[in-house]
Amino acid sequence: MRTRFPVAVVASTGACALALGVAAPAVAAPAADQDMATVSVVHGIPDMTVDVYANGDELLSDFEPGTVTDPQSLKAGTYDIQIFEAGQGPDGTPALEKKVEVGEGDTATVAAHLSADGKPQLTAFADDVSKVDAGKGRLTVRHIAAAPAVDVRAGGEPVFTGLTNPNEDSAVVDAGTVEADVVLAGTDTVALGPAELNVAEGASTVVYAWGSAEDDNLALATQKFSGMDSMPKAVHAGGDGTAVSANSTEWGAGWIALGGAAAVAGVLAARRFAGRRG
Amino acid sequence: MAVAVLAAVTAVVLGVLWLAQGRQQAAPTADFGAVPSTAAGAAGGPSGTAPPLPATEQAARTDAAPERVVVPGVGLDARVEGVGVTERGDMTVPDDPAVAGWYRYGPAPGGAEGSAVLVGHLDSETGDLGEFAALRDVRAGDTVEVRRAGAEPVAYRVTARATVPKDELPPSAFRRTGPPVLTLITCAPPFEPERGGYTANLVVTAEPMDTR
Repeated sequence: MRTRFPVAVVASTGACALALGVAAPAVAAPAADQDMATVSVVHGIPDMTVDVYANGDELLSDFEPGTVTDPQSLKAGTYDIQIFEAGQGPDGTPALEKKVEVGEGDTATVAAHLSADGKPQLTAFADDVSKVDAGKGRLTVRHIAAAPAVDVRAGGEPVFTGLTNPNEDSAVVDAGTVEADVVLAGTDTVALGPAELNVAEGASTVVYAWGSAEDDNLALATQKFSGMDSMPKAVHAGGDGTAVSANSTEWGAGWIALGGAAAVAGVLAARRFAGRRG
Repeated sequence: MAVAVLAAVTAVVLGVLWLAQGRQQAAPTADFGAVPSTAAGAAGGPSGTAPPLPATEQAARTDAAPERVVVPGVGLDARVEGVGVTERGDMTVPDDPAVAGWYRYGPAPGGAEGSAVLVGHLDSETGDLGEFAALRDVRAGDTVEVRRAGAEPVAYRVTARATVPKDELPPSAFRRTGPPVLTLITCAPPFEPERGGYTANLVVTAEPMDTR
């Protein structure tokens, strides 16, 4: 996806995924691998490069603030997630530690971030990867910044209001690019942005507001999940019947000769008779 | 003569399938060829941001927008413009029956995977036949060429054609993963004005020609 944020922003790149110690296939459909879960990690603690361990095994190394990993397949189960300052693990004292349970088929993102009052913490978010209608995209905003409640606006209109750390809000919207900004809840005081945000069709775009208001380093990071597309409801590509009209002998005769008209009429009649038609 | 033979065969095939459809889940009605109905990859997994395009030759580009579709064997030649969906969630079809629409949310012709969809009117509201009306005469093996913006044309070979009730378009026509195909869609009889016009779609599937 293309995002052009005037503020510091890091789209989910493959860079960190390469460092993953687990031998994960690029991406597996969540439902396909029965005992697997899909897990992403986001780093939202400013000024601290970290190593991430899961059950004592290094999952990510030299993980930079503002980075989101690609989704990775992990066996479903409970993971002891430990965050160390880079190079300090696994025998030292973790900067953060949390047990995270991921169930079969779950899609989750674990965020290392600051609490509203600036203390490092780990939060696990369930990622909604359910289908969206054709032409739509899902937009989710997660507040993981040391900052008070915020409103998120698109084109100047509030989309999400009163969002607090460490919570999220989500909506299915028309796909396309919107100009988004983040304001202090109930005010016009811009905390972040405006930024051009591409809500991809048939996908879920997750935006993280991270950093610290006090330290003046609030920033956005984005994450994308694809494969939530639906086909259009129908394709109406006909007009006034010219192609089958009596005075268009060539076409009318052609269709009849093909038998298409009669057979499809039969199909429709049979289906109506069978009661499958509304 | 060839048309007559094709017509006869088609009539038989349709008739048989019509009987079959009466008692089981309606499957796409194959005019010829095998019509994929539930091809793999209907539900892809989540993935990260697409990697940047490698610096390759134009011919290898997979995301170039189509500009023109040509089926020389049946005289189809239509300009192509990108389309999405209407407010109601139907695929947008260009009003001009001489113009085809490319479903820009899905793969582009020449894409590495998934079904690139082109749609065109069978006829217009003003008595004109659409360019895609020529799909009626398409036969297996016909060549489809798609010219692209800033990239080499890509060629496909027709492998299947099916007539399906409009509300049973196979989802595989819009799949975004799996083997690459080109899917051409227009309307098909029966024409029932009281039910909004044509009640079926004609779906033509074409596979990439091996250019290696």
